[in-house]
Amino acid sequence: MSPLLYGLITGIAFGFLLQRGGVLRYDRQIGALRLMDMTILKFMLSAILVAMVGVYLLKDMGIVKLNLKPTIIGAQILGGLIFGLGWGVLGYCPGTQMGALGEGRWDAVWGIMGMLLGAALYAEAYPIMKTTVLTWGVYGKITLPQVLGVNHWLVIVPLVFGGIGLFLWFEKKGL
Amino acid sequence: MTRRDEKSWSPYVAGALTGIVLILSVWVADKYVGASTTFVRTAGMIEQQFAPDKVKTMEYFIKEKPIVDWQTLFVAGIFIGSLFAAVMFNDFKKQAVPPMWEKRFGPSIPKRAVFAFLGGAVAMFGARLADG
Repeated sequence: MSPLLYGLITGIAFGFLLQRGGVLRYDRQIGALRLMDMTILKFMLSAILVAMVGVYLLKDMGIVKLNLKPTIIGAQILGGLIFGLGWGVLGYCPGTQMGALGEGRWDAVWGIMGMLLGAALYAEAYPIMKTTVLTWGVYGKITLPQVLGVNHWLVIVPLVFGGIGLFLWFEKKGL
Repeated sequence: MTRRDEKSWSPYVAGALTGIVLILSVWVADKYVGASTTFVRTAGMIEQQFAPDKVKTMEYFIKEKPIVDWQTLFVAGIFIGSLFAAVMFNDFKKQAVPPMWEKRFGPSIPKRAVFAFLGGAVAMFGARLADG
């Protein structure tokens, strides 16, 4: 089967579940940023915890390999701050705004157009970034277990329990 | 107190199922999901219509080629999947201004459009810088 078809099928499944989880709305995304509604965190963390365990199990069996993005502290801190500013105004993420549009929230159209502009601007700025921000704190393709020098399950298991603890606290607080 | 409406599933259930989709994607298609590169490639494809020679020489578009790839279809699929779920569960709602925005900034559509557009531009610049 062609990679394009896999992409389409994976996207449809992902979009379906995002819609069912009720996480595509501006009110939910801004609600999370205002620490009023943790629905998105519940969804995201559930997905991450399940995928983390599953992917590492497959990796241990030699079936899949990790695909790491290089750690560049400067770019990730600055980029994260800039992303957060924009996200807090738009109230949609790059991928989820497509789903927001799918369930009828058509102000996502403005976000999509803005993001195309933002991508074009970054392409213009890339040569400058490459000689500045992208050289600040380059650590390469590293993982938490690698940095700590421990077996990966010693990181995964505490993270899973920490996540479950957080979920229990959210429910207790009615967030 | 719960903020969830009856139409949605539990975010834990929908999230865990999404986790399984992510595992299957890595296992079957050898793909880790992402979305923001698609905006770069699409911006490149649009710019190509006006300045093909310039796009050819731009370092970032050499790195992230202006083409349709796996991720483009993934991003398009999110739209289709969400539309499908919304119609299937009677949860489709045409909305120009989100309720929380309206409560704070009023019902003006142009105002929401301008800020959503600018917010999107800033968010994507940051996302690309962080390589997310």
